Amino acid sequence: MNHLIQIKNLGKTFKDFWYRPVIEAVKDLNLTIQQGEVFGLLGPNGSGKSTTLKMLLGLLRPTRGTIELFEGLRPEDVAVKARLGYLPEVSHLHEFLTPRETLMYYAALFGLPQVDAKRRTKELLQMVGLESVADRAVGRFSKGMARRVGLAQALINAPELLILDEPTSGLDPIGCREVKDLVRLLAKSGVTVLMTSHLLADVEDVCDRVAIMNKGERCAYGSTRDLLRNPDMVRFSVSGLTAEVAAEIRLQLEQRAARPVQQDFPEMSLEAYFLKVVSPDANNTAFKVAPFLEKKQ
Amino acid sequence: MKTIRKIFGIFLLALRASLRTKTVFALLLLMVTSVFLLPAVVKGDGTPQGDCHILVLYTLGFSFALLCLSTLWAACALFAAEIDNQLIQLSAVKPVCAFEFWLGRWFALLLLNAIALFAVYSAVYLQLRWKQRQPGWRESVQLVNRSVVHPLLPTPQEEAQEAYELLAKQKELPQGLSKAQILRVLTTKAQERYTIVNPGESISWRFQLPRPIATNELITIRLRFDTEYSTRTQVTGVCRIASDVLDAPMVEVPLDDFSLQEIEFDLSCQAFHLKHDLSGINLFFTHTGNPAKASALMLRFRKDVVVLTQGGSFEANLLRSALVHWSVLALLAAFGLTLSACFSLPVAVFSSTILLLLVMIGTSVTEVVSVEEEKEWLKKPGILVSRGVSAIAHHALRIDPLESVINGERIEDQAVGEALAWNVLLSPACFAFLGILILRRRELASGD
Ligand SMILES: Nc1ncnc2c1ncn2[C@@H]1O[C@H](COP(=O)(O)OP(=O)(O)OP(=O)(O)O)[C@@H](O)[C@H]1O
Ligand SMILES: [Mg+2]
Repeated sequence: MNHLIQIKNLGKTFKDFWYRPVIEAVKDLNLTIQQGEVFGLLGPNGSGKSTTLKMLLGLLRPTRGTIELFEGLRPEDVAVKARLGYLPEVSHLHEFLTPRETLMYYAALFGLPQVDAKRRTKELLQMVGLESVADRAVGRFSKGMARRVGLAQALINAPELLILDEPTSGLDPIGCREVKDLVRLLAKSGVTVLMTSHLLADVEDVCDRVAIMNKGERCAYGSTRDLLRNPDMVRFSVSGLTAEVAAEIRLQLEQRAARPVQQDFPEMSLEAYFLKVVSPDANNTAFKVAPFLEKKQ
Repeated sequence: MKTIRKIFGIFLLALRASLRTKTVFALLLLMVTSVFLLPAVVKGDGTPQGDCHILVLYTLGFSFALLCLSTLWAACALFAAEIDNQLIQLSAVKPVCAFEFWLGRWFALLLLNAIALFAVYSAVYLQLRWKQRQPGWRESVQLVNRSVVHPLLPTPQEEAQEAYELLAKQKELPQGLSKAQILRVLTTKAQERYTIVNPGESISWRFQLPRPIATNELITIRLRFDTEYSTRTQVTGVCRIASDVLDAPMVEVPLDDFSLQEIEFDLSCQAFHLKHDLSGINLFFTHTGNPAKASALMLRFRKDVVVLTQGGSFEANLLRSALVHWSVLALLAAFGLTLSACFSLPVAVFSSTILLLLVMIGTSVTEVVSVEEEKEWLKKPGILVSRGVSAIAHHALRIDPLESVINGERIEDQAVGEALAWNVLLSPACFAFLGILILRRRELASGD
């Protein structure tokens, strides 16, 4: 496995106008991210997640430590920038541009030929479900719609490394679901994804490994499965049992384990219920991730 | 190829930004109003010449000043606003070099300025042509374009050097001043030096014509002068003009109307009876006034005695003027962009405006600073700054194209070339270099 990102002893201290230190946003952070994995960066507000990402992107300069990307390159290198896509935590877009023009602009910044840029723009607009509003100025877009434009521009160059800062913030549940699918499918096709989120369920669903930050420090780090496994607990879920059978099995379990057994009736998650009620097909602003990825392959 | 695509993308975005924001339209409206309203509002002296002055000097000048300010501010906004509202973060993570950003935006400003200048100049030109069709105008206002030929004289620097050596020989050099300081004063004096022609005295100049003048062409001779105490009544004179062929016949022109401070007369080259084109002229002036009553004439050789030859069409001159103005705007755009890369929007706008004002007053400050003041250390920084700024501005604003246009004097190729080279190539390159250095050093996400 290749180390796509290697962060060593990274630290960032923000200073005020007079160069007095104001806050140490990131302290002594060490991370390695492998090619092809989905890595989640978690933490409460103000724990330094976005600051870390910005340093990775060369938008902020580290106070201490080193960052290496794509084996030996530095964040400022143009070669690095050509290979990554970035979605900032707030979608800042040029308000007077339409989504189509926005995507064409960012395609131009990658030096894509006009034909490729047009094709790519069309595909991405379709994917994020903004085709019908592709010629309206983004200044009047809702938060989620702007977010979709942001996501589309992050993919304009078919990046090898995708850095997403809270990709699901502002999206409706269907959008969230689709973004998660997208991330998973992109990862399958070899794209490395680094994302932050507060929504733990999101991270749990898609991330292979996570790091949890608090007050700028890394306090947990490892594969999601390892971190979440409760070593001596087992849970069975069975549908269609009658009450008598259930009672009988419970009795047997108690006898075998010599411990009390907890029994519950799982509810559907609200997300699952929402998705069941609001059918994605009825909503024309939905993502169309599957056809997009099919086309890619 | 990729670089061109990137620059073009940035160029297009800047164009769109300017076209889709209301400020540009407000500006355009203001300019259109000024072009059509100013000539109507500003009271001239009632003569067609006066109207012409207002149209060219004030209207075009005002529109140009407006463009200067708006170009500067727009340029200041281009990076600063994007950094302030964090939009730059998305572009900065794309594989675009700082110079591509800088160039793309600068090109957009260049194009916008070209369009605006074209609009303003055309509007003024159409008004001029339209007014020329009115009675009174056609006779009195001539839209011409003539090359200005100055007499062959040592340069002010040479003259200053000579004067310095003379002073040195006579041991009369002022104490406590460096050679450079003395030379600077002497050069300024040489430029503005008056020569006095007393009644009965004669004086002559030689002119080398920049191109041969055909025998059927007209040349014009212009003299400007002052008189002692501005008494003009007693002055009479005669001009004798000869081609620079040996024993050539002289043309004699008596002058007696010195009521204006300028005398201009046309001369057909046929008068010289030459077989070939005219390449040089000798001009003799004799003050024929009564020595008892007449007052002396005062002339500044370097400015006041000129020969004018056909220089092309008026339109061509107007175009050159527009080109010079465009070059100044290009310089301002580059300057604004670099400030924009260094500072936040309010700071950039404030400092650029202050600097622009400094340029305007800088020239006058450096002229009035006395040698004694220069030595006071308290005043030194101020003088240094204004001198530096005006040194830069001196190159940028070497010629005043509108003054030339209104005087019907051709803006020479060399002047246009120099303006373009200095304002569109050299200085912007320096500013770009500086701006790019700073852009690369800055943390674009810190937002302060
Ligand atoms: N430009 C800045 N100048 C000064 N302090 C900053 C700057 N940017 C971030 N900080 C501080 O650094 C700390 C970490 O901020 P950061 O944005 O990285 O947090 P985060 O983990 O992304 O939080 P959230 O979950 O709310 O997005 C915060 O205390 C914040 O106030
Ligand atoms: Mg954040």
